[in-house]
Amino acid sequence: MTMLHVEKMTKQFGGLRAIDSLDLTIKKGQILGLIGPNGAGKSTAFNCIAGSFGPTSGEITFEGKRINGHKPWNLCKMGLARTFQIVKPFASKNVLYNVTVASFVTTNSRKVAEEKALAVLESLNFANKKDILAGNLTIADRKRLEIAKALATEPKLLLLDEVMAGLRPNEVDEMVDILKTLRDRGVTIFVIEHIMRAIMALSDRVVVIQFGKKIAEGTPQEIANNEAVIKAYLGEDYVAARN
Amino acid sequence: MLYIIEDMINGILMGSIYGLTAMGLTIIFGVLKVINFAHGSLLMVGLYATYWAITLTGIHPYLALFMVIPAMFVFGYYLQDIVIKPIFIAEKNVREPITVIIVTTGIWYILDNLTLLLFGPQYRSIPDNPLQGQMFEIGTMFVSAPKFYGFLTAIVTACAIHWFMQKTIMGRAIRATSMDREAASLMGINQYRIYNVAFGIGAATAGIAAVTLIPFNNIFPTVGVLFDIKGFIIVVLGGLGSISGALIGGIIVGLIESVGPQFMTATWTEAIVYGLFLLVLFVKPSGLFGQKHDW
Amino acid sequence: MNHQHINKIMLAGVLVIAFALPLVVRSATYLHILVLLFFYAYLTTSWNIVGGFAGVLPLGHAAFVGIGAYTSTILSLQYGISPWLGMLVGGVLATIVGVIISLPTLKMRGAYFALATIAFAEGIRVMVENIDYIGPLKLNGPRGLQIPPLQTGLEHFMFASKEPYYYIILIMLLAVMLMTYLISRAKLGYYLMAGGEEPEAAMALGVNVARAKLIAMAISSFLTALAGTFYAQFSLYIHPKSIISLDMSFEIAFIALIGGRGSIFGPILGALLLRPVGDFCRIYFGDTLPGLHLVIFGLVLIFVMLYQPRGIQEPISRAYQALLNRLAPTPSPRTVKLGEIRS
Repeated sequence: MTMLHVEKMTKQFGGLRAIDSLDLTIKKGQILGLIGPNGAGKSTAFNCIAGSFGPTSGEITFEGKRINGHKPWNLCKMGLARTFQIVKPFASKNVLYNVTVASFVTTNSRKVAEEKALAVLESLNFANKKDILAGNLTIADRKRLEIAKALATEPKLLLLDEVMAGLRPNEVDEMVDILKTLRDRGVTIFVIEHIMRAIMALSDRVVVIQFGKKIAEGTPQEIANNEAVIKAYLGEDYVAARN
Repeated sequence: MLYIIEDMINGILMGSIYGLTAMGLTIIFGVLKVINFAHGSLLMVGLYATYWAITLTGIHPYLALFMVIPAMFVFGYYLQDIVIKPIFIAEKNVREPITVIIVTTGIWYILDNLTLLLFGPQYRSIPDNPLQGQMFEIGTMFVSAPKFYGFLTAIVTACAIHWFMQKTIMGRAIRATSMDREAASLMGINQYRIYNVAFGIGAATAGIAAVTLIPFNNIFPTVGVLFDIKGFIIVVLGGLGSISGALIGGIIVGLIESVGPQFMTATWTEAIVYGLFLLVLFVKPSGLFGQKHDW
Repeated sequence: MNHQHINKIMLAGVLVIAFALPLVVRSATYLHILVLLFFYAYLTTSWNIVGGFAGVLPLGHAAFVGIGAYTSTILSLQYGISPWLGMLVGGVLATIVGVIISLPTLKMRGAYFALATIAFAEGIRVMVENIDYIGPLKLNGPRGLQIPPLQTGLEHFMFASKEPYYYIILIMLLAVMLMTYLISRAKLGYYLMAGGEEPEAAMALGVNVARAKLIAMAISSFLTALAGTFYAQFSLYIHPKSIISLDMSFEIAFIALIGGRGSIFGPILGALLLRPVGDFCRIYFGDTLPGLHLVIFGLVLIFVMLYQPRGIQEPISRAYQALLNRLAPTPSPRTVKLGEIRS
């Protein structure tokens, strides 16, 4: 069943067309990866879908419902959660508090929210750090906190914006395992990533965009061998030299 | 009918002086991106400085400019350097430096009450005022002479500052810093020194405004409060950071204050000014000439 | 004997002292000072709900004090309605005004919001100063309203001595502190903190930041107005320059900022420090060095902002924690700030 359907989405900032008629579909339980060179429009696409701003035109449907321009907090309540590329922890509070804020989406009781938050932390092997101030965490832990917060809202669809950036290779592998476990638990995941080993290991399908337009779609294998993709990342000369 | 024209002329003249008082505020905001709540107090300091300069040396009020401008510049420069800069440094990464607002409010309280302590609450005015009550006669209308000179001063000051910003190296450095402080510092511009200079200029402008006000305005410790609030209104109306906006905003306020009492009590015109202020805040917070900020 | 026990004992001790104080302090002057101290502590604690938890800087709260004071006074002078009922009416009115003010202003950036609150407060003051009558209701413009102490008794909210006022404001203060504590531990408190610290992240986590701030403002304005009625009944004379003054708005904000906005005990600590200083200066230096207390306020404010931006409650609660550890040494995994949410 289709979780998210984006049809002919366009986003224009004044004269700049950041996203040009983008189509994509994510099925329930899938992991879809979104890749593309810097400036391709990946984060803009996320922001349109997640409600930071609305698209200039096009349709975005979530579980069959049109969500163009819906407010982020309403989308969160509907089951669409997102993380931010530049992590935004509530730095002056500890880890448990951070995640508890997110748990309140599902309950009004502080006790219940805290228990749920603790459960989420435990599922991410993070509970031992629950009392540390978020501002004092390492970058890897901050990224994990970001995911924990999003998870605590009990999402059906999770939008992850470059959660691996800045992580060491073994941390990347850890993160991939965490995300795969999430998928096994029934969360549909939409990832933006630059780190190829992560995207290839993780995604069921991959969409490639450049200059706001989709230039390829397929399984990780297909994408890796796609000439348009290689050209976009490595340039025409490389492709010409290869052939 | 003639009364209205007379009122309008006086309103424009007084308004330009209001604009002059607010000019420093808009400069400081344009460069430091901070609303200096102590601006009225700077004006008050300027008034007292001018008062003492005139009383002790007996010179003509406008000649006092030569003493007041450098004195106020130095005062503003070091006020920023010693008191406000540490907060800037501490809040470098904060998106909205609210603490600076709080600190400038503290400065306001300190300056006003220190003045009260040192000089007492009595109202003062300069002795042997050469401009006292002077008027120009235009037909049957009377136009206040000191206000007219104030108007001229305001225009000249605005032009001088504009020239300074456009044509001198320091002016360019200031503009660069106000556009993008990080890029400017990468170009070798010491942003903190620029802040000091900008604050100094703002204070010096307040000093100029004080000189124009002294022939007809009383001097007392809390004289700055009214100008402070009016100053906020004027700069928001005209657009924070815009010098011509400050003049025009001032003239608007001046016109409302002078023409309004023809139709309602004077204190209701005060309410109208506040109402206009709120309207601008809601509808177009960047004001008439301000740049669209990342607000 | 662990930390929890000690905290409870300390709390009980402080409460006993507070309630027993009037038995020891008989001087009317000192009682008056104490009443005003609690009054300001109440005001700053109420302010803290929106100025501390919601993270905005309202500088016009005296307007709500004025609304509360005028509403109950007019209702009791002209219609004989009990000031207690008038108090509630004033609270509701202030809430409505607070919500109306907040709807357009809460989305503004910090400095603009502060300016807008100043403009609203001053606008209200100017209007009250100019209006003698709104329909049948007598405001009396700048001359203000006097409350003749005709009948005393609890139901008239009028007493011959200061002690009853002392207890009333003390109870109000404790109630407001309890409310603040409960809010901080509830969904609203978490949402306010999140929205104040990282609004974008909070919104992505299901927090309607604007609505949370609005609720905080509504609560704060209601509570503040109640104090306005208290003040009217206590001082028996209200006029715009005293009760809707910018000075009062700023003093409330300063005390909360110096004490520590966003914490539960911060505002009270601030009041405990600054009000006595202010009163002391006023009494002993009022003639020779007028305005000295305000100079001191300003200096303390700048000093605190430079070195302890989270207020004096931070070093004080650290010292308290150290004391607790000395008295009942336990391997504490981390320090808990006084008033901080314990998880």
